[in-house]
Amino acid sequence: MFEAPFMVRAFAELALLALICGPVSVFVFARRLSFVADALTHTVFPGVVIGFAAAGAEGIFGGALVAGVLTAVALTLLTRAGLLSDDAATAVVLTAMFSVGVALVSRRSSYTSDLTTFLFGRILTVTPRQLAETAVLAVVILALVAVGARAWIFRAFDPTGSAAAGFRTTWLDLWLNLVVALVVVAAVRAVGTVLVIALLVVPAAAARTVTDRLPAMAALGTVLTLLAGYAGLWVSWTASIDYGVRLTSATAVVLILVLAYAVLLPVGRLRAKTVGRAKTVGQAR
Amino acid sequence: MADTDTALRYASAALGYRGRAVLTDVDFALRGGRTLALVGPNGAGKSTLIKSVLGLAEVVGGAVTVLGRPVAQARGLAAYVPQVDSLDADFPVSAADVVLMGRYRRIGWWRPTGRADRQAALAALDRVGLADRARVRFGLLSGGQRQRVLVARAIAAESRLLLLDEPLNGVDATSQAAILRALGELTAAGAALLISTHDLGLAARIADQVCLLNGRQWAAGTPAEVLTGELLRRAYGGHAVDLPDGRTVLVEP
Amino acid sequence: MRWAIAEAVLAGALAGLIGVHVVLRRLSFFTMALTHATFPGVVAAAIIGVHIYLGGALAGVLVACGVAALSRRRGQDAAAATGVILSAGFALGVGLVATQNGFSRDLSSFLVGSILTVGPQDVTVTAVVLGVVAVVLAVGGRSFVFAGFDPTGARAAGYRLGLVDLTLLVTIELVIVTVVPAVGTILALALIVAPAAAARLWSDRLAVITALSVGFGVASGLAGLLLSGRYDIAAGAAITLVAAAILVLSLAATRIPRPAVAA
Repeated sequence: MFEAPFMVRAFAELALLALICGPVSVFVFARRLSFVADALTHTVFPGVVIGFAAAGAEGIFGGALVAGVLTAVALTLLTRAGLLSDDAATAVVLTAMFSVGVALVSRRSSYTSDLTTFLFGRILTVTPRQLAETAVLAVVILALVAVGARAWIFRAFDPTGSAAAGFRTTWLDLWLNLVVALVVVAAVRAVGTVLVIALLVVPAAAARTVTDRLPAMAALGTVLTLLAGYAGLWVSWTASIDYGVRLTSATAVVLILVLAYAVLLPVGRLRAKTVGRAKTVGQAR
Repeated sequence: MADTDTALRYASAALGYRGRAVLTDVDFALRGGRTLALVGPNGAGKSTLIKSVLGLAEVVGGAVTVLGRPVAQARGLAAYVPQVDSLDADFPVSAADVVLMGRYRRIGWWRPTGRADRQAALAALDRVGLADRARVRFGLLSGGQRQRVLVARAIAAESRLLLLDEPLNGVDATSQAAILRALGELTAAGAALLISTHDLGLAARIADQVCLLNGRQWAAGTPAEVLTGELLRRAYGGHAVDLPDGRTVLVEP
Repeated sequence: MRWAIAEAVLAGALAGLIGVHVVLRRLSFFTMALTHATFPGVVAAAIIGVHIYLGGALAGVLVACGVAALSRRRGQDAAAATGVILSAGFALGVGLVATQNGFSRDLSSFLVGSILTVGPQDVTVTAVVLGVVAVVLAVGGRSFVFAGFDPTGARAAGYRLGLVDLTLLVTIELVIVTVVPAVGTILALALIVAPAAAARLWSDRLAVITALSVGFGVASGLAGLLLSGRYDIAAGAAITLVAAAILVLSLAATRIPRPAVAA
């Protein structure tokens, strides 16, 4: 499989995403941002459409970024103000923004291929340049995470305590939402929304079943994603070459990751029974 | 004769979760018209005991009888008054709606509420002094008022046994007085009350019986018998304890 | 077009009805995950050749039970489990679609639906389900509210919480299976959440909230279709945006003049 250079690049892209999403998914888990992450995969769509319309393929990233930032800000403000419950606000922002994208695109005759690319990305056609861009983004994102990690953990564990200690919770929330938005924007073009949402949610969830220490969760999450990435590419390659079954790599990777979760679930429960305690990872609020 | 009058009986019971006991040696009988206070430090097992009446904690050993029936067949017989903080204040339910919930068991889950039920709910609210707040959203009431509404809900249930979980925690003086008055009326009418509290002074004031818990039952009897310095010291270990006569002592193991 | 209007009205009413409970019990994410988890069932049914409503319903019940089991966990684990189910369902459904032809069309249909192409059969199913759900809520609504507001108290009063929660779940799933093939996931979620959230802002009484929610849902459907025809935008998108607009207007109307209203 790795004789083909595009497969090597595809795996490299997945490896970079694994590095990013291991740690980020831990924070998505701890702060219960799964829905926000899912929302972002939908809300960047209008940004992609507008960006593409304005500046061709080069404009996609910028458009998605603007949409992502808008979403992060809107969600942070709406939930802070307490006007709507978190999940209702997220649902409405998600559907409204996605619909704006659909409305814009529907004026054209056919938007189904746009949608396909958006959903799946084009991991098998990742160019060396896109790989380099992802690498740069990985460095930026990991730096942002490193700076914010301690504050986010404190805020997750003890909202009142962290506020009393001077941390501005609204800014912290916004910052984390922005980091997640950046991950979505960075990954969507290469791997599509199907894979992005899974990468942001499943690694930490799977790791959590066997450990409750945050650094371990991040490391295990990255490892699982790497393994799933390799296995997923291999399965979809074999399926298409040897059996003529069209199985997209994104689908294969996600399903293998979820399989890992399903396998670890009973393992974790068995372990919990013998250890005899159930701990919550950095109390959620 | 005694059994029909006994609202709650624990016979050498061990209570816990998933087959493992967290509270053992529970043994007492609570009769109608009496008030029993469960006291003990945090984690002693007070809520486990209350949960065992509700069927939320297992009876791992011994026997528990609720209003004459084995606890497994006694679902819904006792009326439960939780702590207000455990409830969602945003729900679109009025004080009257909450009190009406106490009637559901008698009506059955499918029949609509009738006039009699709504009047019973209003009457119960009146007993705790909140008849004028019947239409106000539950979440907009003060903490003490909300606690009163929950007591009214238990009154509306017309049960012979009430379970109260720290009913006066953080409650203002007016509401406390209203609640205590309502509880007094209930016992006078023959209902049995099981109250868990960390306030030993309260236990001494209103309880006929006290049950001292900490991992196991350390004592059960009248307040005078149970709330002694010696027993409290042994049961509480290294905690601070308010003695009934107003002093606070730091107890060391 | 007649059928589209009928479907918009019925779906709007149906979504408005169940939406009240989804919003009350904060089940929006859950509902989203259910739509994604039902998707593979519908696709598999289409591939095998079984009627999609039947296949969807079967998958739906399975999913509802599975999700109920996984969500017995607390806080973080529940949110994460919901996310996993969403990812898995989506990937599975999409993967199944990809093995067939007509790939992109089916995917678009899943996400954005095609209300303009509904026929009498779809409308009939929606009408029947509307009737069923109305009855379920009339009889069981009280239990849902009690169990949501005070689970322990409900348990103490003899309610079987597991059964109550499962019933609510299956009802939501029934709505999803009915509405999603016609209007797509995005619109389904919007119609379920936005009108109910808007209604909640106007009143504290459940009966009023329910009535308003149904009203807003129907209004969104009708107005959306009208705008879609007038300005040549996708019907699903138009309906969603009208529903969102109603919510925004309700926010503005109820929260801003608050200081002037006596407590």
